[in-house]
Amino acid sequence: MIGEARIVKLDNLTLLVIMVGTILAMSIFLPERFLTVTNFQSMSSQFPEYGLFAMAIMLTMITGGIDLSVVSVANLSGVAGALVLASHVKAQAMGISPGTIIFLAILAALVVSLICGWFNGLLITAVGVPAIIATLGTNGLFMGIAIILTEGHGIRGFPEEFLFIGSGTILGIPMPLIIFIGVALLVSLMLKKSAQGFKMYMLGSSPLVTRFSGISNNRVIVKTYLMSGLLAGIAAIIIISRVNSMRPGYGYAYLLLAVLLAILGGTNPEGGRGGVLGLCMAIVILQVLQSGLNILSFSPFLKKFIWGLILILFMVVNYYQTNGWPMRNLVRGGVKTGAS
Amino acid sequence: MISKLFQRNETYLFFVIMAFSFFVTVMNPSFLTVENMFDLVKSSSGMAILAIAFFVGLLSRGIDISFPAIAIAGQYIAVNALIAMGVDSLPLAFLISCAVGTAMGATNAFFISSFRMQALIVTLGTSNIFHGALLVFVGTRAINTGKLPHCFKAFGHMNVLTLARPDGTLYGLSVFAVLLLFVIILTWFILNHTLLGKSIYAVGGNYESAKRAGFNIKRTLFFVYGYIGFLSGIMGVMHLSLIRYSNPNYIVDTELLRVIAAVVIGGARITGGSGTLTGTLLGVIMMVILEKNLVLIGLSSYWHQFFIGLVIVLGVSITYYQSKRQNRRNLLFTD
Amino acid sequence: MCQGVLSLLIMEKIGGGTLVPFLEAEKISKAFDGVQALDNVSISIDAGAIHCFVGENGSGKSTLIKIIGGILRPDTGQMRINGRPFTPGRAIESIRQGIQIIYQDLALFPNLTVAENISLNQLIEKRNKLVSRKKLIQTAKKALAEIEEECDLFEKVENLSMSKRQVVAITRALTQNARLIIMDEPTSAITKAEVDHLFSVITRLKQKGIATLFVSHKLGEIFEIAENVSIIRDGVKVGDYKAEALDDRKLTFLMTGQEIVSKPYLPKGNGPSQSHLLELTNLTRKGHYQNVNLFVNQGDILGITGLIGSGRTELALSLFGLNRPDSGEIILEGKPVSIRSSREAVRLGVGYLPEDRLLQGLAIEKSIGDNILATIVGKVLTRLRLISGEQRKRIESKWIKDLDIKTPSPAMPASSLSGGNQQRVVLAKWLATDLKLFILDGPTIGIDIASKNNIHHIIRDFAHRGVGVIMISDEIPEVLQHCNRVIVMREGRIEAEIEDVQGVSEEYIFDLAAAKKVGQGM
Repeated sequence: MIGEARIVKLDNLTLLVIMVGTILAMSIFLPERFLTVTNFQSMSSQFPEYGLFAMAIMLTMITGGIDLSVVSVANLSGVAGALVLASHVKAQAMGISPGTIIFLAILAALVVSLICGWFNGLLITAVGVPAIIATLGTNGLFMGIAIILTEGHGIRGFPEEFLFIGSGTILGIPMPLIIFIGVALLVSLMLKKSAQGFKMYMLGSSPLVTRFSGISNNRVIVKTYLMSGLLAGIAAIIIISRVNSMRPGYGYAYLLLAVLLAILGGTNPEGGRGGVLGLCMAIVILQVLQSGLNILSFSPFLKKFIWGLILILFMVVNYYQTNGWPMRNLVRGGVKTGAS
Repeated sequence: MISKLFQRNETYLFFVIMAFSFFVTVMNPSFLTVENMFDLVKSSSGMAILAIAFFVGLLSRGIDISFPAIAIAGQYIAVNALIAMGVDSLPLAFLISCAVGTAMGATNAFFISSFRMQALIVTLGTSNIFHGALLVFVGTRAINTGKLPHCFKAFGHMNVLTLARPDGTLYGLSVFAVLLLFVIILTWFILNHTLLGKSIYAVGGNYESAKRAGFNIKRTLFFVYGYIGFLSGIMGVMHLSLIRYSNPNYIVDTELLRVIAAVVIGGARITGGSGTLTGTLLGVIMMVILEKNLVLIGLSSYWHQFFIGLVIVLGVSITYYQSKRQNRRNLLFTD
Repeated sequence: MCQGVLSLLIMEKIGGGTLVPFLEAEKISKAFDGVQALDNVSISIDAGAIHCFVGENGSGKSTLIKIIGGILRPDTGQMRINGRPFTPGRAIESIRQGIQIIYQDLALFPNLTVAENISLNQLIEKRNKLVSRKKLIQTAKKALAEIEEECDLFEKVENLSMSKRQVVAITRALTQNARLIIMDEPTSAITKAEVDHLFSVITRLKQKGIATLFVSHKLGEIFEIAENVSIIRDGVKVGDYKAEALDDRKLTFLMTGQEIVSKPYLPKGNGPSQSHLLELTNLTRKGHYQNVNLFVNQGDILGITGLIGSGRTELALSLFGLNRPDSGEIILEGKPVSIRSSREAVRLGVGYLPEDRLLQGLAIEKSIGDNILATIVGKVLTRLRLISGEQRKRIESKWIKDLDIKTPSPAMPASSLSGGNQQRVVLAKWLATDLKLFILDGPTIGIDIASKNNIHHIIRDFAHRGVGVIMISDEIPEVLQHCNRVIVMREGRIEAEIEDVQGVSEEYIFDLAAAKKVGQGM
C-alpha cells in the first residue's frame, strides 16, 4: 500500500508538472502578451478573492465538511464593513479620522464574518446538521440578511485611503497578493504545525478516532468554521476595496470556482487530506489558463466548460492513482471485514 | 396507526401548512380561491418536478445539483432544434429535451458509479460542463417570444379545466397539472412497485448490503441519474412554455436552492434512504405558499432570500437535532 | 453416522463415501497484500448438516465465507456443489445455488420494512421487475410461518431489536430456497434465551433438509448444536471432527494451538487501607445500565464480562465521557467528578481503548506517528504553540521501540500493520498520556495468539505501575486469566462480583452472564 505521505506528494507532483507545463506553454506561445508586468499584476489582483474562498472551503473539507456559505459570508461582512465606511463623511464631521473609520470597518467586517462562521459551526456541531445542508441554508440566510440591510442597493462612497487595500501596490506587488500570501503562510503553518491543524486532519480522516482519543470534535469543527468565516471576511475587505462599493450578490459565481479549486488542489472532499501548497498551485494553474484564454479571447463560457472538465478529469486521475489496480476494492473489503 | 401518523414528519408539515394557509386566508381571502390555487399549481409544477428529481437522487444518497443546467440545456437545445428544422411539434420538443436530459444524467451516473465519486462533486463539475458546452456549441442568444415556435405558447395556455369568473371571463387549470400528476404517479409507481425503486432505497439505506443482496447497483445509479435528467428535461420545456422565452444564460441557480429547500424540509435526509414523496410534495407546497405570501405578512421582496435560508435552517435543524439526540442515546457516534 | 473419529481422512471415507456432500471447498488459498489469509483450506458440508466452523478471531473464517458466498475469489482451489464445479463470480451466483450468508451485521436495510427486507432478495433472484405489495407480504408471512416466527411486517427494521433483526435475516434466507445457511457469529449480540431460540430455529431448518454452517469463536455454544466441527487456525485448517469427539480443553487447544495455563494476575502488594482509585455509586443510565456500584484500586485489573447489550460498553463509555449517566456518582481519587466529554476524561487521566479498533481506535489511513500523537498533541507544543518536531520524534520512536511495533518508520500508515501491531499503536497512544484509569474494551479482538500474549503483558505492566485497569471482554477465559477481580454484567446490572478468580470455572461465569432464564430477578 502506498503511504499517505506519498500520495500527497504524488498529488502535488502532478500539480507541479501541470503548473510548470501551463506556464511554459503560455510563455512559449504567447510570450509578448503573457510575460508582461501588467498581465502578472492583473492576474495577481484577481485571484486572491476567490483564492481565499477556496482556502476557506479547503479548511472545512479537510475536516470532512464543506462551507458553501463563504461567498454569502463575504457579502454580509462586506456590507457590514461598507456601511461603516460609507459613514465616513459624517464621521469626519464629528472629528473621527479616516484611519479610525477604516479600522472600525475592517473590524466590523471581520467580526461579522466570525459570527457567521460560529453560527455555521454551531449548526453543524450542537444541532447536528450535516455541513453541506447547514451551509447551504446559511448561504441563503446570510445573503438574505445582506440584501435586507442594503435593500438590494449598492453601498458606495468610501474614504480614498481604504482603496489602497484592493488596488494599491507595494514595490509593484498588488496588495491583494500580499495579503493572500500572508494569509496562505499563516494557514499553512496552522495546518502543518499547530495542534488545531493536526486535529483537523485527524478528524477529517476519522472523526470517531478523534472522539475516542479525547479530542473534542465540536471544538475543532467550530474553530474550523470560525477560520473559514474569517477568511471570507478578509476576502470581503479586499473585494469592497477593489470594487470601491458593495453590492449584495457579488461573487456568486466564485462559489463553484472555489470548490473546484479546493478539489483540484488535492483536498479530499471526504476529509483528512489537503494543503495550502496544492491549493496555491491549483490557483496558479487556473489563473494562468484563464489569462491565456482571455488573451486568445475565448468566450467566458468555454472557460466554464473547461473548468468543469478539469475537475472531472482530475477526479478520475485521482481515482486511478489511489485505486490503481482494479482488484483493490475487493482486497480492501477483505482486510476490513476479514478480521472479524 | 394514528400514533404512527404522528411520528411522521409529513404530519407536522401538513399541519403547519394548514395553519399557515388559514392565517393567510384570514389576512387575504383571495388566497383560498380556486383561481389562486390553479395559478399556484401552474407556476410551481416545474419546481415540484425538479424537487421530485432531487428527492430520488437523495434517496440513493446522492446530491445532484446539475438539474438546473440540464433543464436549461434540454430546453434550449429542443427549441433551437425545432426552429432549425422548422417543425412546430411539442412532442418532438419533449422528446429532444428529455433525451438530452437523460443523456446528461447518464453521464453523471457514469462518473458516480464507475469512480465512486461523490455525486455533489461530479455534478458540480458536469453542470459547468453542460452549461458551458451549451453556450459554446449551441449558442448564447436568447430566443424571445416572437421567434418561439407556436406549440410552446399553446402548451403554456392550454387548460384541462376551464371555469368562469363572476364577470364572465375564463380561467382554468393548466395542463401542467396533468404533467405533474403524471410525474408523481410514475415516480410513486417506480419507487413503491418496482424492484428498481426498492433498489434505490436499498442503495441509499445500506450500500454494502445492497451489493451483497445482489442488486445491480450500477444499473440503479444509471436509472437514478438518468431519471433526474429526464425529469429536468420535462421541466425545461414546461418552464419555457410558462415564461415563453428561452435564455441559455439564465441558469436557474435560485431554483436550485429553492428545490433543495423544499426537499429537505419535506424530511428527506441527505444521508440517503429516507423520506417520502408525500413529504417532498408537502415541502414544495410549503415553500410555494410561503414565498407567495411573504408580502402578505408585510415583508418586502428583499426578505425573500433570507426567508428561504431561514426555512431551510429551521427545517433541517429540527430533523437533524431529533436524530442527533436519538443517536446519542443509542451510542451511535455518527460524526 | 460415525463415532469419535478425528482424522479428516477417515471422516471423508465414512461421511462422504456414499453421499455427495452439498458443498465441497477444496484447497482454497487466498492472500491479501501478501498476507496469507487462507492456506489450502478444505471443507465439506453435507446436506442438512449442522456444521460448526471454529477459529479464533482473525483466523480466516470470514475470508472463507466470503469466498463461498461469491464475494471474494480464491487465489487457488476449487469448490463443488452437489459434485458439480462451482465458481461464483458474484454474490447472486452463490445465492442461486442455495447458499445464504447471514453476516454479523445481518446486511439488512434499516430504512425498509420487515416485509420488504424478507422478500426483496427473492425478487432480485427471480429477476422480477415489479413489486406487488400483496405478494411481498405473502412471501414474508409464509417464510415466517415456516420457522414458526412472528413479526410486525410493517415495522421498519431500524426499530427492531437485534434478535428480531436476526430472525428477519434468517427468514429472508428461507425465501430463496436456501440449501445452506451460513451464520457468521450469530450469537454475539443476543441473550442466552435468544440463543436457545436461535438453536431451535436451526434445528427446524435441519428438519427441512437445510444445512447450517455456524461460524463461531465461542466454546459453549458449539457443543450444544454442532454435529461436525471444522477448526481453522491462522489460515490453516487444523482438522475436521465430530462434535462428540471434542471437549472444551481439546477444542481450545486446537483453536489456539496452546494449552492455556491459568496464572491469574495478582496486583503488587496493595494494602487494604488503600483508598479506591475509582468508585461508582448507584450509577444509572436509563435503558443502558442501572445502579452500578463498583470500585477499582490502583494496580487492579478489573474484568467486566457479559453479553453485548449487558451494559458493559455503555458503562465504559460513561466513564469516558461519551454517555452521560442520569444519576449516581463517579468518584475518581476520592473526588466526585462529572465527565461530560472524552476531552474531560483524558484530562482526568481516563483512557479508553475501544472495541472497534478499525473504526474507533485507529485512523487507518493516518501514519503510525499521527495515531500515537492523537491523545497528546496538545502537550508537545513549543513556546510558540507549534508542534515540536523534536518532541514528536522522540515520543514516536520511544513507543515504537517500547511496545515493539514492527514498522520501518513512524510515517508508515497504520493500515500497513498487522492487527496485533495496530492494537499496540492504540495502546501506545494511551500509554503516552498520564493515565490513572485505563479501560480496555475487547483488547484482543481479532488479534493473533502471539500478539495477544504480548498485549496482555503490556496491560499487566501497566497495572503494576499503578494504573487502575478495567478490561472488558466477552471471552471469559481471557477475563479469568488476566484479571484479579471480575464483574459479570447482565441486562444493565451487576450480576456478580468475583473477588478471587482462582478456581472459578468458565461455565459458572457463562451461566451468570447468560442467565438461563431471562427476567430472573437479582
